[in-house]
Amino acid sequence: MGAVAEYFDNIKNTVTTIFEGMAVTASHFMRKPYTVQYPDRIPVRVQDTLPYRYRGILNVDLEICTGCLACERACPIDCIVIACEKDQKTKILTISQFDIDIIKCMYCGLCSEPCPTGAIHHTSEFEGADFSTESMIRRFVTDPIDAYKPKKGPETDERIAPILNRGMRYVNEFAQGGEAWNGGVVDDGAAAPGADDEEEAAAKQ
Amino acid sequence: MSTLRTEEMTLNMGPQHPSTHGVLRFIVRADGEVMREAIPDVGYLHRSIEKIAEKVGYHGFMPYTDRVDYVCAMFTNQGWGMASEKLANIQVPKRGEYCRAIATEFNRLASHLLSVGTMGMDIGAMTPFTHAIREREMINDLIEELCGARLTFNYMRIGGVAWDLPPGWREKALAYLDHFEPILDEYNALISYNKIYIERLANVGIISADEAVNYNLVGPNLRGSGIKWDIRKDLPYSVYSEFDFDVPVGKGEWGKLGDAMDRYMVRIRELKESVKILRQALKQIPAGPVLAKVPRNFKPPAGECQIRVESARGDMGWYAVSDGTGYPWRVHVRTGSFAAMGIIQKLSQGLMIADLVTLIASLDVIAPEIDR
Ligand code: SF4
Ligand code: SF4
Repeated sequence: MGAVAEYFDNIKNTVTTIFEGMAVTASHFMRKPYTVQYPDRIPVRVQDTLPYRYRGILNVDLEICTGCLACERACPIDCIVIACEKDQKTKILTISQFDIDIIKCMYCGLCSEPCPTGAIHHTSEFEGADFSTESMIRRFVTDPIDAYKPKKGPETDERIAPILNRGMRYVNEFAQGGEAWNGGVVDDGAAAPGADDEEEAAAKQ
Repeated sequence: MSTLRTEEMTLNMGPQHPSTHGVLRFIVRADGEVMREAIPDVGYLHRSIEKIAEKVGYHGFMPYTDRVDYVCAMFTNQGWGMASEKLANIQVPKRGEYCRAIATEFNRLASHLLSVGTMGMDIGAMTPFTHAIREREMINDLIEELCGARLTFNYMRIGGVAWDLPPGWREKALAYLDHFEPILDEYNALISYNKIYIERLANVGIISADEAVNYNLVGPNLRGSGIKWDIRKDLPYSVYSEFDFDVPVGKGEWGKLGDAMDRYMVRIRELKESVKILRQALKQIPAGPVLAKVPRNFKPPAGECQIRVESARGDMGWYAVSDGTGYPWRVHVRTGSFAAMGIIQKLSQGLMIADLVTLIASLDVIAPEIDR
């Protein structure tokens, strides 16, 4: 008797719990769908809906790059290559190369964090597929360009001011903001950020 | 007439099998549908992450820790942050600790949702998976707003976190929790109390309390066997001592204590507890800085340290040795998934082949975390 009762009890249980589940599923016919039909059939580009901090493909505003190399040092996989030359007489720093290897980049954001002006920053762009690996190396310098010199007080050049505003907003988003970084020179007593990193790296080899 | 010859069959499950949660291989010796033994073969996802730490330095290693366990990367971030802080004796600001707690608990929600979702999918119930993933996406949206990435967060830094909570985020997070709690009940109605589902999970892969301890299981796998051990509660780190929450343990309601259903229900209940912690954390979060001043050129004094974090997969240990230079001399991670792999060979004896999938899913192993 007990076994038979249990048998029918099990069947009853199964049917009722299935119906409970079905009720949940059915209720979803009434709700708004959550799926996004990427890439087409969406009202706005996905890129435009991403939050401000989204870490997409890197971009560099060379107009406000000070050539401090903080980003190059911060990158754990060395995918940034910058070449700067300082004219001995005029003391002007010229940036002749600024390449970022997008293939190697892991979008960690460690490079944009120490940048004093927010020149190097993540965009909301993520569609980076391409046919050749060569074209994945983003070369930002076409003609050698003079490095930006931070001014005391607000920027007066009206061409650069909006770019710098954009950059500083980006920098200030980070926890330590613009204060901890003073033109790329850290106040921790060390001569320059990571000045002896290279020696150590060499010693480590 | 001579009798038919019978023999044991050796099967390979994996490395590329949709239900092994990553690149994992099991060598199964089976007699018909009953397994004699399933021997896990790990190592397919070994990426030398511990060795990489010795090459990239303390700050540079943070994004790599995301790859140790990509499903709950906040915990690995926190583990590395805490280990480095302990080496250099750095105090994380209070708000930074709260940001960490909030981020990790949201990550725990996301991780457990994936676990309970794939649990259903692995035994053939596709719908709950989509429900769990939908909720996880919403959590990922929140985390993305917080740190800019959905999976490889790199949110924490040595000495705190990289970004403060964005404006309006707290309200959004609280609104999400209000939305999430009824969804959890709905999810339970959808699958957790389904009779067929319970029958599939109950009395499968029973781990007794002694066994769980002897095999070094951690996290929900250990608590599923009825042992109340949670690092957040028993060895409180960060700000967890300030929160009021329970540690759910398996009770054997549907079968024997320590079966797959118990482990599953521990995760479901932990979701509720995480929501509780999150509400308290979001309410109590103090004002102030979130990142201590840590030099870029980070050189902790020579020494060694071991810290423990309660990750979504249990007690995660980070061991770091510093020789006083800017590069750690040795780093080791102790992960819950690796410990869980050890018991599979024993539990699989006498199990049906179809139940092996249930067993793996109930142990919630993540392949990259096994091998690192
Ligand atoms: S995002 Fe990370 S990996 Fe990419 S260039 Fe910057 S530091 Fe290097
Ligand atoms: S850290 Fe910024 S300013 Fe310095 S070199 Fe890099 S992009 Fe230019």
